[in-house]
Amino acid sequence: MKTVKVTIDGKEIQTSLDRTILQVARENNIYIPTMCYLTKVEPIGACRLCVVEVEGLDGMVLSCQEKVVDGAVIQTNSKALQEERQNIMKLYALNHPLECGVCVKSGECDLQNKTSEFEVNEQSFSLRDIKRKVENWGVISYDSSLCILCEKCVKVCNEIVGKGQLKVEPGGYKAIIVNTKLEDSCIDCGECMAVCPVGALAVNDFKYTTNPWELKKVPSTCTFCSSGCELSYEVKQIGIENSKEKIYRVTNNYEYSSLCGAGRFGFDYENLVTKKDEDEFLNAIEAFKKAEVIKFSSLITNEEALLLKKIAKRVDAKLVCSDAFGFSKFLRAFKKARGKSLWSSTQKKLSQSDAIVVFGSRIKDDAPVVKNHIAMATKRKKAKVVYMHPIEDFAISNLVTKFIKYEPGSEEAMALMLLQVFANKEEMTQDLQDFVDDIDIGFLSGESSISEEEIDELKEEFWKKKRFTLVVGADVFNHPEVENIAKILAAIERYTDFELLVIPPNGNSLGVSLICDLVEKHEGFSVGYNAPADYVLSALGDGDLGMPALNQQEGTFVTLDKRVVPLNAGLEYKGFILNDIANSLGVGSTHTIDFTKELPVDKGFRSIEFDSLEVKFSVDGDDLRGYELETILCDSQIELSEPDELPSYDGTVIYIVNPASNPNPFTNRAKLTSSEAKLIGTKQFASAAKISDGDVVEFEVCGNYISRVFKIDDTLKGTFALNPTFDMGLKAFDLPIYRFSKVKIKKRG
Amino acid sequence: MSLEQFKRRDALPGYIFYEAEKKPQNGWESFKRVLKRTFKGELFVGLWIVFREMIKRGNSHTLSYPQEKLAIGPRYRAIHKLLRLLESGNERCIGCGLCEKICIAKCIRMDTRIDENSRKEVSQYTINFGRCIFCGFCAEVCPELAIVHSGEYENASEQRAHYALKEDMLTPLDEFKANKQKEFKGFGALSDNADSFVKKTPLAY
Repeated sequence: MKTVKVTIDGKEIQTSLDRTILQVARENNIYIPTMCYLTKVEPIGACRLCVVEVEGLDGMVLSCQEKVVDGAVIQTNSKALQEERQNIMKLYALNHPLECGVCVKSGECDLQNKTSEFEVNEQSFSLRDIKRKVENWGVISYDSSLCILCEKCVKVCNEIVGKGQLKVEPGGYKAIIVNTKLEDSCIDCGECMAVCPVGALAVNDFKYTTNPWELKKVPSTCTFCSSGCELSYEVKQIGIENSKEKIYRVTNNYEYSSLCGAGRFGFDYENLVTKKDEDEFLNAIEAFKKAEVIKFSSLITNEEALLLKKIAKRVDAKLVCSDAFGFSKFLRAFKKARGKSLWSSTQKKLSQSDAIVVFGSRIKDDAPVVKNHIAMATKRKKAKVVYMHPIEDFAISNLVTKFIKYEPGSEEAMALMLLQVFANKEEMTQDLQDFVDDIDIGFLSGESSISEEEIDELKEEFWKKKRFTLVVGADVFNHPEVENIAKILAAIERYTDFELLVIPPNGNSLGVSLICDLVEKHEGFSVGYNAPADYVLSALGDGDLGMPALNQQEGTFVTLDKRVVPLNAGLEYKGFILNDIANSLGVGSTHTIDFTKELPVDKGFRSIEFDSLEVKFSVDGDDLRGYELETILCDSQIELSEPDELPSYDGTVIYIVNPASNPNPFTNRAKLTSSEAKLIGTKQFASAAKISDGDVVEFEVCGNYISRVFKIDDTLKGTFALNPTFDMGLKAFDLPIYRFSKVKIKKRG
Repeated sequence: MSLEQFKRRDALPGYIFYEAEKKPQNGWESFKRVLKRTFKGELFVGLWIVFREMIKRGNSHTLSYPQEKLAIGPRYRAIHKLLRLLESGNERCIGCGLCEKICIAKCIRMDTRIDENSRKEVSQYTINFGRCIFCGFCAEVCPELAIVHSGEYENASEQRAHYALKEDMLTPLDEFKANKQKEFKGFGALSDNADSFVKKTPLAY
C-alpha cells in the first residue's frame, strides 16, 4: 500500500493510504472523541462526534469514514469543533432520563463521560417527550428512553453475529431499536448489550445488583470452546451479610473481541468447596498411587495437563483423554503429512477470507465465535460460504451460500473430492498426482451421495476469489479414518489455495494433545480428573474429591488461533488442587503456574513465566494475548489411500451436539445458561422411531442410557436428531465415538 | 507572592503594633519586676470575681449532662440518619451508591436489588461507626438528601466496631406519621436561596 504523509494537530505522520483519519490518529495517540465508533465493525457514522477540520475543505469531515490523503493537514480540535461536539452532546442529553442514580450503566456510561467532557451544563434544545416502555428481549432488556441510537448494537448483530435481527425503526425522535425476530431466533449472545454505551441494553439478572465501579475485574479466558475468547470476570462480595466473593458478570474487550452467550452468561459454575478435606485427600493420593489409568477431559489448563503427565510418569499410569484422543491422532497424522505441526489459518484470517468451506462441524453450536468470523467475512469481503455437513443448519442460512449435504461417515470421501477439484496438480509429487488422477469419483459420490457436478460447481462458486479458508470441525476427529482424513486435509492445505482452520473438539484439546501422550484405552484401576473413573476428582462437585472449576484456576489454554493465553482465578478455591496431590507424589511445585515455563518447547511452547503473559490487543484489534505457539516444521510425507466401503447410517441417527448457549456440563450449572436437555429431531426421525413430539424417549449412547423429551424441529431435514450431552455430568466428556450414531429409540411408558 | 517574600513574612502595613513592656536588662530590673507583679493586688481582683460568681444563685454554666443536654447546631455531624420522602413516606435512598463510593473511611456498604416493580431497591445498608470519621461527605454527596447527620452524638458503645443497619437509621414509620421527621439543615442540604440557582430547561412546545 502506498505510504502518505499527513499532519494531524501539527504532528507529521507517515501512514498508508487505506487508513482512516481516526485510525491514524489513534495509532499516534491523538484523541478524537467518538460515541458510535467501534473498532471491530465498519464505521457507523451515526454520532458525528468524530468530526475534524481539514485545511482547504469547507465544513467538517467525519474522521471515522474519511481515508487519509497525501499532504492533508488535519485539526482535531478548534473552537468550532468544540461547539459542534457540545451541541451533539446536548442533543444526546435531550430528554435523556436523569436517573443516573439508579441506572445500571452509571459509572461506565459513555454519555455520562462525554457530557462531562464537553461541559454540557445547560440544555438549550427542547422537544416534547413521548411515552416509552421497557422491552424484554429474554436475557436482556431494552429501554428505549435511555437509547441514544448510536446503532452499535445493530451493526454488531448484523456484522459480527451475522443475525441481523436488530434494526433501527426510523421515525426521527421516535426512532427505536427493534428486535425483529425475537421469538424464534435471538441466540442471546449479549453482543448488543456489551457494546451499548448507555444503559439501554442491560442484563435483567445483573440489573441493580451492584454498581459497576464496585466490581473487581479479573482478566481471563473463556474455556468453553477452543476459540478461547478474552473475557473478564467481575467480582464482588455476595452481600453485607456474606463477605464471600461471587462473579456478578462477565465483560469483554468489546471494542476488539466478541463473546458468545455461553461465555458471557455462563460464569457461575464454580465449585463451592468450603474447606480442605484432609481424609479424602489421603484417599485421592492412595488412588493415584495405585492408578493404572489416569482419565481426564480436555477442559483443563496446560499446566494441569503437564502435572497429570508427570503424575502418570511417577505412578506409571497411562493417560486417557476421550475427548482429545481423536484430535491428537488427527494432529499427529496432519503433522507428518503437512510437514508442519499446526494449521496455518487463524480466526482473523478467516474473517478476511472471501471463500470459506465449513466442513464437519455444526459451526453455530460448536464454535459460535468462529461462526462470527465467518459472518464478518460474508459482510465485509462478500465471502461465499459453503457449508458441508450431513445436517443443514438453517439458522445460519443467511451466511451460507450453499449447503452440501453428504452422508454421515463420508468425510473421507468429501475431503478427497475437495482435494481432487481444487488441487494444483503441477506442484504435486508424481505419486500423489497419479493418486489424485486415479480417484474413483463415482465411488466417492456414491458413498457421500454428492454428485461430481456439485463439487465442480464449487469451483465456479469460488471463481475469482482470492483467500480460501477451510474450517474443519469436530466430526472428523472421532471418525474411524481420522488419520487418512488428516493426511488428505494436509494435502489440501499444501496443494490447494485453501488455508486450514481446525476447531479442536473441546476447550483445550489442542494443548492437551500437544503436551500429553494419550492412549485410547487401558484396563485397570482408573483415576479420573473431570472424567468418569473408579476414583473421581471433579470440578462439578459430584466426585470423590472436589477440584477447582476453570474460573477458580490460574493457568494457560491453547486457542485455535494457536495462541497460549492466560487464565486467572476469578474466585478463590478453598479445597485441595491437583498441584497438592502432585506435591504429595513428589512432582509438584509451589504453584500450578510454575509449570507455565516448563511446557514442552519441542511442541512449540515457549519458556515464559505465567506472570509475564499479557492480555492486550493492537489498535486494529489483533489478538496479542499471551504468545503464539511456534509451528514446528518436519519432513512432509503424504501417502494417501482410497476410502473403504462405509457403514451406512440408515434409520434413526442421532448427532451429538450441544447448543451454543449451553455447551457443556459446566454451563449447565450456571444460572442463566442451564436448560433442559431435549432430543431435537425431524419429522422423519419421529416417524422412523415411531414417536411424536413431547414423548419421553430412551436410548443408549456409548454405554450410557439416556432418557429425554423428544421435540420436533421443522427446520431440520433428514432422519436425524440432535442429542445434547450437557446434562450428563462428567460422562459428557467420555464419549469417544463418531458424532453420528445409529440408535434404537424406545418410547417410555 | 515570591518565595523570598513568603519566607520573610513581614507584618503587613495594616497591622497595629503593641508596645509591650520592656524586657528587664539586668538582675536589678528583673527583681523590680517580680516585686511589682507580686504585690500589685491584681490577684485579689481575680479571686473576688470567682468568689462573686460562686455565691451568685442560678448562675451555673455547665449542664447536669445525662439529665440535661445541649442543643446541637444544624451543621454538627453526628450519627447518620436515613430520611423518608415527605409525602409518600417511602425511603429517599435510591441506592445510587455515591455515599459508599465517596466514603474515605470505607465504612458504608449497601446491597441493592431489583424489586417487584423493576425499580432499584436498597435491600441492606450499613455504616460501621467504629470506622466512620464523621466527615460528612456522604451527606454532602447524597443527591436525594437521604442520608443526613442527626444530632444524635451519643455513640459510646461497648465494642469498637459499632454497626448500624438500615432499620436503625431509617426514620421509623410511626415517628414519620407523627410528623416528627426533621428536615436536615446541615452539610449537603439546600441553601435558602437554592431556587435562585436553578436554570430552567427551555420548553418551546
